Amino acid sequence: MAGIRIVAALLLLAGAAPAFAQDANAGKAVYERKCLLCHGEKGDGKGASAELLVPKPRDFTKGLYKIRSTANKTPSDQDLFRIITDGMPGTSMPSWAVLPDKDRHNLVAYLKTFAPEAFKEAPKKLELPKEVASSEASIKRGKEMFEAIECHKCHGTEGRGDGPSRPELKDEWGQPIAPANLTKRWNFRGGRSRTEIATRLANGVLGTPMPAFLEAVEKPEDIWHLTNYIVSLGPDSPQPATLVTVAAVREAIPDDPGAAFWNKLAPNNILLEGQVIVDPRNFNPSIDLVGVRAVYNDKEIAFHLTWDDPAENKGDGKATFPDAISLQFAPQQPTGTERPYFLMGDATDGVYLLRWEQGKGVMEVSAHGPTKLAPIQGGEAAGKAVFKNGQYTLVMKRALAATGIERPSFRPGVFTPVAFQAWDGGAGETGPRMSLTSWYYLRLEEPQSNRRFFIPPAVALLTFAVLGLIVRAARSRAIQ
Amino acid sequence: MRKTFVALTAMALVGSAAMFVIGPRLAGAQGGGTVEVEVKYNGAPVVEKLKVNKDTEKCGTETTIEKVVVGSNKGLANVVASAPNAKGGPAAKKVVVDQHGCKFVPHVTVMAPGELELKNSDDILHNIHTYSTANPAINKAQPKFKKTMTEKFEKPEVIKLTCDVHSWMLGWVAVVPGIGAVTDTNGVAKLENVPAGKQKIEVWHETLGKQDKEVDVKAGQTTKVSFEMKGK
Repeated sequence: MAGIRIVAALLLLAGAAPAFAQDANAGKAVYERKCLLCHGEKGDGKGASAELLVPKPRDFTKGLYKIRSTANKTPSDQDLFRIITDGMPGTSMPSWAVLPDKDRHNLVAYLKTFAPEAFKEAPKKLELPKEVASSEASIKRGKEMFEAIECHKCHGTEGRGDGPSRPELKDEWGQPIAPANLTKRWNFRGGRSRTEIATRLANGVLGTPMPAFLEAVEKPEDIWHLTNYIVSLGPDSPQPATLVTVAAVREAIPDDPGAAFWNKLAPNNILLEGQVIVDPRNFNPSIDLVGVRAVYNDKEIAFHLTWDDPAENKGDGKATFPDAISLQFAPQQPTGTERPYFLMGDATDGVYLLRWEQGKGVMEVSAHGPTKLAPIQGGEAAGKAVFKNGQYTLVMKRALAATGIERPSFRPGVFTPVAFQAWDGGAGETGPRMSLTSWYYLRLEEPQSNRRFFIPPAVALLTFAVLGLIVRAARSRAIQ
Repeated sequence: MRKTFVALTAMALVGSAAMFVIGPRLAGAQGGGTVEVEVKYNGAPVVEKLKVNKDTEKCGTETTIEKVVVGSNKGLANVVASAPNAKGGPAAKKVVVDQHGCKFVPHVTVMAPGELELKNSDDILHNIHTYSTANPAINKAQPKFKKTMTEKFEKPEVIKLTCDVHSWMLGWVAVVPGIGAVTDTNGVAKLENVPAGKQKIEVWHETLGKQDKEVDVKAGQTTKVSFEMKGK
């Protein structure tokens, strides 16, 4: 026992000794197989594919690491190991959990050899203030602090990464860098847990504009109040939908996306990806999620869309373009499994788009590929968009039934293929440079009648009556 | 561990030995000479104007980025003039850089290795984001209620100060081991109490670079030295 204690004490004393055996040479071999393409042979972040990536791959030669649990600049081995293992959400850095533990530990050792100077100073553990559990009072205090220390300057009033300083932000390599959208915690580079968020707040994100706030809040525990407030801004994960259900309503459908009517419906979250099939490709899409609410009544079908975009853009036609979004359908409800090409159709099989564009409004469009769009003559779609605090909300409406071979009619109970496309014009997205989905399905709920309020109780009553009769019959038989 | 200890001890020993050797000389250098450094510039001033889109009540609606400030007689302002090897300058006094009107005031500061006080008199969020190699780089938030912060810069180098909230904000802090001063709009800086004898005089400008000359400093006298910087 005493022997173990002594060994443990010795291990603690020898702070420089890694907890795991590390072999930088073995790490080099792994690096050359797995990391070199992005991070470069010299570890300077200038690999062959670096040009296409935003954010850029880490330059290891500066020894400057964004995500660390330490109070000084030196990350701990565990910090590096964790990023290799889990990857960085919202970037091109994937999880390397597929590699054996040993390979990842060896990689840590090899990474450090790119900047030996930076690792001369031993990592110093950051001591976070005493944790404060989340509560209504804590979230309220966090919001006060959020405003007092002006987080909104970069992250925006409602935390969507749309603050006034956003367009000016650069990292220490001179690359533009976007402030985090605090409502999408699953994209946080350093992880979404409360401890990880509190750590980023306390010691900042090295090499980026995000400063350390540990000494800048009024009281140390404010770090936790801020954390609790940030956690309250959005869900833990995007909870993606697999099917868009169009609810049946009896009342008139409002045009105003801000109407209370829409709050009664839960959004179907649709995840979008960058278009990387045809040129120009979009490796770093701006819009990754659209919340879809859909309803219909006896005359109309309406789609209520919510998506984040850091700025409202009409476009200058050179570097920026009008923001836009579209819902894509087959021109006629397909009878079999055959559907047009998901990427806005092709020369032979076109698609029908219900499209909104900043400055133009809602249109019905026929497309034969991402660059061949033509407004449909006699289109009658209407709608309204509102932009506020880094978020668009939009209502697009159309008659349920339509005429012409380019325009589909919508019928209840039918699985209807639907796809989505979105453009952040402020990020230079236009034409094929977009975010998109492949085909999803939407289904119009069967219209509900009042019969559901009468039939089930009637069936229940009848069942009880029959049961009663059987019991009575059985009892009378037993008495005999 | 042990190596560090040995190295530290050795450094301390060498240091105290050096002090012992230099000490008497310092006393002798009292009442050393003054070096008047004059820096001329042969080009036009470079001043960029920028529209401000936030915090306009504190920052104004327009701000200027003064890259090259030229005063009367072609004097170049904001040049760090120093005698880096001159020991025994005046005792380091507290140096303050203020963030005022969304600018670093003064734009260029000279300090002896030690502490720098950073003031925020704007009542809005700034962040002190430094670019340095010898000293640890910092990026610390300074919200409105944090009026002052103190940071240590122990190693000689020129440190760039920026603020990410207001990307136009730019300042420089020259940590000078010897004696240093910043030129005024006449392009003149006075280095006082420079020990007599041969001294290297260095000048540094944020966009025009670095030059140096050797001068012979005489006790009780003012020695003039002039530099000319050329536009790129």
